[in-house]
Amino acid sequence: MVQKVLIVDDETHIRALLEQTLEELEEDYDVEILSASDGREGLSLIQKERPQVVFLDIMMPEMNGYEVCQKVKGSPEFDETNVILLTAKGQEVDREQGIMCGALKYMTKPFDPDEVLMIAKELLGLDE
Amino acid sequence: MPAISLEKFIKKGASPVLIEIINAMDTSITIQDADYRILLGDDDQRLLGGYPVELSGQVIGWVSGGDKAPSVASLLTYLAGKELEKKTLGRETLDKYKEINLLYNISERIAASLELKEVARLIIEVARRSIKASNASVMLINEETERLEIIAAFGKENDEKTILMTGDGIAGTILLSGNAEIINDVLSDPRYIEGANNVKSMICAPLKTKDRSIGVLNMSSNEPVFYTAADLKLLTTLASQAASAIENAILHKKKLKEERIKSNLERYVASQIVDIIMEAKGDISLDSEMKNIAILFSDIRNFTATCESLAPKEIVGYLNEYFTQMVDVIFTHEGTVNKFVGDMIVALFGAPAHLSNNERQAVQAAIEMQKRINSTPDSWIREHFNTGIGINSGEVVVGNIGSPQHMDYTAIGDEVNIASRLQAIAKGGQILVSRNVFDTTKEFFKFNSMGKVKVKGKKRSIEPFEVLY
Repeated sequence: MVQKVLIVDDETHIRALLEQTLEELEEDYDVEILSASDGREGLSLIQKERPQVVFLDIMMPEMNGYEVCQKVKGSPEFDETNVILLTAKGQEVDREQGIMCGALKYMTKPFDPDEVLMIAKELLGLDE
Repeated sequence: MPAISLEKFIKKGASPVLIEIINAMDTSITIQDADYRILLGDDDQRLLGGYPVELSGQVIGWVSGGDKAPSVASLLTYLAGKELEKKTLGRETLDKYKEINLLYNISERIAASLELKEVARLIIEVARRSIKASNASVMLINEETERLEIIAAFGKENDEKTILMTGDGIAGTILLSGNAEIINDVLSDPRYIEGANNVKSMICAPLKTKDRSIGVLNMSSNEPVFYTAADLKLLTTLASQAASAIENAILHKKKLKEERIKSNLERYVASQIVDIIMEAKGDISLDSEMKNIAILFSDIRNFTATCESLAPKEIVGYLNEYFTQMVDVIFTHEGTVNKFVGDMIVALFGAPAHLSNNERQAVQAAIEMQKRINSTPDSWIREHFNTGIGINSGEVVVGNIGSPQHMDYTAIGDEVNIASRLQAIAKGGQILVSRNVFDTTKEFFKFNSMGKVKVKGKKRSIEPFEVLY
């Protein structure tokens, strides 16, 4: 079964960097990388595609990351979806709010590509 | 260079556009990969041959089916080329991003560490993430031996105990030149010193602080590697961050050492004098020299007889309490405790740090020592410890005296002997000083002249004055 990873970020270059970071998952494993450029599009892709892993930005137009995370993690049907908040908001209070919303992890930008890849592999059960 | 799989390329992005174009052509087109597996088109039309889809001179697939097939093959070749360009650019951008992220992280992490080896280890860990290497090391100059020594290492460098003279080998010359270098063919470099490590390529950057190189950051590979200018730039940046962090760690280590020395010194010398010694730059010498100082001898009268009935442990207990009180008084008056001999205390005023009023401080200390014994909370000490104190002043030799294995900072000279004699003739509770001390302090204290006294071992008699307190 194809596993899916979704990137939700309104900044094009961050999306491109994340896609590039996760590219080897598509090349080496049966993984599909999807992306969305705002919270609303992200939520609709989560509902439609049911990705196993979502890298979710917080400050976005339409719907922010906290709201998306709350909607997804508030519903038992998305138990299998792991949300990782990836954001420039590095304050402890932001981190706490992120975890309260049901996010599995909270990473700050600039992100470490190796760490992102490692987390994705781990959550997809692909770690060596 | 990244690889392009025609199958993934068609599945991921190109498929809807291709189907649209092929439909518009109104002809049957089959696209197969290099192994003739059908990727798009009719499964029954598996064919050998067709028109090749090429990428960097290699066939990655075939297009067949009618006269439009060559155009579709050309289009796919063009799109695959563009995809490759995009991927290459994407990878380069990601590499740059990783580099920035690396430098961002390293500053935070090494700034948080003040331990030399930990900083060196972190730098190696970070460098390895971006620069291909089978071995890596951080070498620092040992200031005493002027040799390059490995502080932290990875790979075979770890086993190597080779210590380089500055100027020797590739690392040694880079240390001196202060310029980072790539040596992609190490074996043909005349500076290379062959060791257990079978190195083929290396990259090395000096660890430069404001004005000098303190060591090198070395990375090498046992397989031939083509290190690039970008690798060199990154290594130089890392080395520069490492150098300042290492310098901080060295300074921190020195500071800790100073604090240890200070704390040891404080057992012998008043803390204000310790500060003077620690801050002095060459002004205070522990080498032997003639100095004008005051010397105080203090001894408990009939100590052996007094303590006869006590167990050794009890004697040590009382003595420690007594010495603690006396040393406190001596330090308060900026004196230096030269030594304890049995129950006797020898203190110097004016060495190793200069005092402007040696004699006055010594006499004041002696008075307080007597008073302190009389007011000590321990009644046994109050009743049984009666001390006689003698003080003299004058020019003596002071400095580190002894053998290389054991040295004492002490004072030697006739004036020291006179102070000792004065102490010997002082009764319990009495403070006797020489004429010299009397002359310089008579306006501050009351004295009682005792006339001239002949003492053991001295041809000329001495003239003690008793301090009245």
